Amino acid sequence: MWSKRKEDELPQRPERPAPVPAPSAPAVEPQRREINTMSSPTRTFEPEPVRGGSAALGKNVTVKGQIFAREDLTIDGEVEGTVECHEHRLTIGPNARVQAGLKAREIIIQGSIQGNVDATDKIDIKKEAKLVGDIKTSRIVIEDGAYFKGSIDISKATTAAKPQAASPAVATPSASPNTSAATPAATGSR
Amino acid sequence: MKFGAAKGTSPKPSPKDQPSSQIRHSSGFEQFCSLLQSSESLSILDMTGASQANISFITGFGHRLSSDDIVGTMQQSFGSDFFESQQAASTAQRFLEQTLTFPDEFFDGALVWDALQFLASPVLEEAVKQLLRVMRPGGLMLAFFNADEKATRIPIYNYRIQDSKTLLQVPRGGSQKAQHFNNRSLEKLFERSSSLKFFLTRDSLREVIVRK
Repeated sequence: MWSKRKEDELPQRPERPAPVPAPSAPAVEPQRREINTMSSPTRTFEPEPVRGGSAALGKNVTVKGQIFAREDLTIDGEVEGTVECHEHRLTIGPNARVQAGLKAREIIIQGSIQGNVDATDKIDIKKEAKLVGDIKTSRIVIEDGAYFKGSIDISKATTAAKPQAASPAVATPSASPNTSAATPAATGSR
Repeated sequence: MKFGAAKGTSPKPSPKDQPSSQIRHSSGFEQFCSLLQSSESLSILDMTGASQANISFITGFGHRLSSDDIVGTMQQSFGSDFFESQQAASTAQRFLEQTLTFPDEFFDGALVWDALQFLASPVLEEAVKQLLRVMRPGGLMLAFFNADEKATRIPIYNYRIQDSKTLLQVPRGGSQKAQHFNNRSLEKLFERSSSLKFFLTRDSLREVIVRK
């Protein structure tokens, strides 16, 4: 028994993160350094820190081609091509100019996009965003003031019940001007 | 009318004069909703600015929604006084190239709202022609037109769906010169459609359902 306990403890040691010089420092410290390099004096943008790692393309970065990410990705520069972050969150920052098809689990849009957008879970279009292209998603949140030209296909989530036609819960969100809409659409749930 | 005011022009309203949001009961939209409830997976065009309310309502029926902000395109193409700037052929052509760029017979229904009244001839007739082109045979369009002959400038609204009978008119800021329409002029404008249905309203906004 005693020896077995020691064996159980041993394999856990290699799984620990690499030793950090300052143990008291927060885990998201490397991300903060990246964010600081892409912040501009005129438009500041600080994406939410994400657990499990994330990558970022700063506002002075231009990419032409295909981007595949296996972690959350923030784009604040120029991208032309395709961007795929399956199972992860893709954030298009306020300075971004994207001419690409986008695929991700969740997509947050603050900048300018020309291309089709496909999110398996949710798309969040902020008021300063400009999107020209078709949307395919399970849920969509769009703030008043956002520019959108294209079509919206709501793919029904497997767990969601069929939305009731003319249901007040679906039909009444964000009716007032300049009020951000926080109610997911088309899933029949708030 | 003030002394010295030129005929046909009126001063732009100050921000204090801007209208506030108002609820509107719409029999025309109620009729349009019968189309939405009739079957699933329809293609619907919404010609006001994209909004959560309209997206939620339309997609809640299981339909596909397309958004094309025609008033926004007018402002981009013609400038702030867009009604009076539509006579230049080059800008008119640019507007028509950016608007209603959808395939033929693509939509089962279109929510045009009051956008057409801000278009002047010949752009108006060309826009109606494009609208009818993108509609499927039997498809419905809901359009509002100003019927007040005395109004020289009309506030611009976005239309937000509240429920199957009620709309919220949200001021978009500013006002524009606009045409006024009577039943005869509307029949002439949509002479290529198969039928028109007019709805009586208490205000000066005429509601029309056009069937292709």
